[in-house]
Amino acid sequence: MMSWRDDESGMATLETTLMIVILVPLLFAIIEFGWLTQRWLAQDGVAMQAARYAGELGGDRPELRVYVQEHLRLVGIEPSRVTVEVEPASVSWRQPVRVSLRTDEQIAVPFLFTTSVAMRSTAVARGEVNR
Amino acid sequence: MRYDDGGTAAVTTLVMLPLLLIVLVGVLELGALRAIVYRATAAADLATIVAVSDQDQAELTRTGILRLAPDAADVARDYFARNLSATAPALAASPHEIAETADVASFPSAPTVDPRTGATYDRPTVRLIASVPVKTPAFALLLLPAVTTLTIRSASSPR
Repeated sequence: MMSWRDDESGMATLETTLMIVILVPLLFAIIEFGWLTQRWLAQDGVAMQAARYAGELGGDRPELRVYVQEHLRLVGIEPSRVTVEVEPASVSWRQPVRVSLRTDEQIAVPFLFTTSVAMRSTAVARGEVNR
Repeated sequence: MRYDDGGTAAVTTLVMLPLLLIVLVGVLELGALRAIVYRATAAADLATIVAVSDQDQAELTRTGILRLAPDAADVARDYFARNLSATAPALAASPHEIAETADVASFPSAPTVDPRTGATYDRPTVRLIASVPVKTPAFALLLLPAVTTLTIRSASSPR
């Protein structure tokens, strides 16, 4: 007769459970943070382009808003979730113009946490045209 | 005699766990460094573009020639610092210090050869080369330098 000490059938289950509890959060953390970084850098790129365009247009114009929305869509970010700020609203020749984009992204890591992270991108260009 | 595998598993875990942690920390830090390289390069690109885009439309209409402003190099330096500010917490020096020590050159006439890089510019160009010190605390844990210096290059010409 085999004693309960020699019965290892539960060990595999225990090991698998422990590994899932460690590996699944690790895997999701890598995916979530990688995805967040990709979005952040993409948003940065849009902010840079938008700042330059704002300098060319002379500030916060409807064309700039449309441009930002189109480029956010191109990089896979839903524009309705992004706050766009342009300072100053009207820019003259050689004056700095700052474009800031802000998105609140959700991060969910199983067994650990779900949180909201604010992604901010800022770029500064200057008024390019002497009107 | 019976085999006891318990010790083998413990030794394997003891050897593999630190190795995995070292790889994980190294990969995370390298990823963060790549993100900073991207942002600093984008800041340098925007700075040189802003510097060469300074144009007077009246002058352009009159002569048909785009000319670099005399202060183009200073403008590039100023806007490099402004755009680098978003990355400031990750840097081991202030954006203004980095911009001040950057090698910014303005080449108002073309064609010309950049004495530092050997590149030939067929239009007026502003070129920026900067050393950007980045904090790498995870590398320090692996007995590597706590500050990694990146070299950023950018050159722009007006169109």
